[in-house]
Amino acid sequence: MEVEKIKKAIVELDEVTVKNLVEQMLKEGIAPEEILKKGLIAGMKEVGELFARKDYFVPEVLLASEAFYAGFNIVQPLIKVSQFNFQKAKIAIGVVEGDIHDIGKNIVKVMFEASGYKVVDLGRDVPTQKFIKAIENEKPQILALSSLMTTTMMHMEEIITILEEKNLRKDVKVIVGGAPVNEDFAKKIGADGYGEDAFAALKVVERLT
Amino acid sequence: MNTLEEVLKRRRKFAVFPIVCADHCARLLNMNFGDVINDGEKLAQVLDYGYKTYGYDMVLVFCDPYVEAEALGCEVEFTPYPRLIKALWLNSVETKSERIDRTGEIINAAKLLKDKLTVPVFVSIKGPFSLAAFLVGIENFLRMLIKSEKKVKEIIDHALGFQMGYLKRLLLIGVNVFIGDPLSSTSVVSPKIFTNFAYEPLKKLVKKAKDHGVIAGIHICGDTRPIISMLDRVGADILSIEDITPETKTLKMGGVKTDTILNGNRTKIEYEIKEALKQPYLLLSTSCDVPMETNPENIKAMMNYGINS
Repeated sequence: MEVEKIKKAIVELDEVTVKNLVEQMLKEGIAPEEILKKGLIAGMKEVGELFARKDYFVPEVLLASEAFYAGFNIVQPLIKVSQFNFQKAKIAIGVVEGDIHDIGKNIVKVMFEASGYKVVDLGRDVPTQKFIKAIENEKPQILALSSLMTTTMMHMEEIITILEEKNLRKDVKVIVGGAPVNEDFAKKIGADGYGEDAFAALKVVERLT
Repeated sequence: MNTLEEVLKRRRKFAVFPIVCADHCARLLNMNFGDVINDGEKLAQVLDYGYKTYGYDMVLVFCDPYVEAEALGCEVEFTPYPRLIKALWLNSVETKSERIDRTGEIINAAKLLKDKLTVPVFVSIKGPFSLAAFLVGIENFLRMLIKSEKKVKEIIDHALGFQMGYLKRLLLIGVNVFIGDPLSSTSVVSPKIFTNFAYEPLKKLVKKAKDHGVIAGIHICGDTRPIISMLDRVGADILSIEDITPETKTLKMGGVKTDTILNGNRTKIEYEIKEALKQPYLLLSTSCDVPMETNPENIKAMMNYGINS
């Protein structure tokens, strides 16, 4: 099938080919939903499997994500939400205050988007109050917090505490991840889930939504 | 005399060293970390205080991971935690004329400590692979590993050249070295990338240190299982790694998880030490550096249980 070429190009980390193929197939009249589901999403799914098998590592996933977005940014505006059931759930994601490491967060984000979740990306080095405001204003079902440093991970607990104080905690599931974070820490701070990597994070979100 | 045996058998069966660094020690003394990192005397003062407080079996001169990257022109800010805010672009790795070079202060601190203390003094330096990543920005670097192998090798060579010069200056004062290369772990890159890009530069640094008769350690946090046999062949005296269970010829260092020393309690620390000491040949330590905010009671608990085991 034609759209299989897009999947292959993502797995081969070929951003330029993905973009060209998506543009060409749209011109040929192939539905953007098909390009997204059977090309782009299928490609990222295979990349996830390769990562889980330790055939792919962070550089490969990073490049695959960029190849995915090269096509996703073209087809996304063409797809009506109702047609694709695009918004499975809304997820707000960000790297906690003091931490500027966002490679992991960006890879998690692409996995969520590739799986049909609506993602509100709050960025990196995000002040605690910005997370709280995002919960109040955007009303996501999931809040995904990332930290790469032991010195910043305590902000995760701070965010959960403030959500409880503001009576917002019941409205949102909080998941955490990042190099120094583990299952024990997630439980200790009262998070609803922990993802060891981007693909584990996706499974946690699927369980929680 | 700085021999590995001295580290191991100075006082007891297992040498103990929670990786306590300058940030935590500065906090103990209520000193501004920003002042400490720019002043060799203050740096030596806080590290000496940490040593006296806990009584571990070696001292590590380590402020933050970006000393060399900054010396080569990257911008680092302290909030108070160090953050690399501006890497160099990949086509301009030449040293800028205006730069902040703290290596002289590090060397000064190491010399002061070496002259004063009876335990071995180590200085932490970056592995060329990780230093190269800092120079061009980590994300860029990860892309380049796949897309621009030749350029990556050039940047790593540049980093290695700088590190060889830095190591030479450290060897003149006879201190031991720990080479930290966190980005070369297989939590980040494949064993193939480690082999192609990180292994040889590490080996060259270790050889130079060993040729001068000092102790050379390697520290890589994250997953190292798939590359453990390669690490064993680098020729270092000590491997500081998170998972200490694989068999190695090289002395392993580790045992207590960073999360445990930061968030755990005495019971959990003692449990992890008991498990770690099942290893026949070990330098009991934390799996990475002890976070600045760690409760001193946890470090004391690790020391007490470790030295009495």
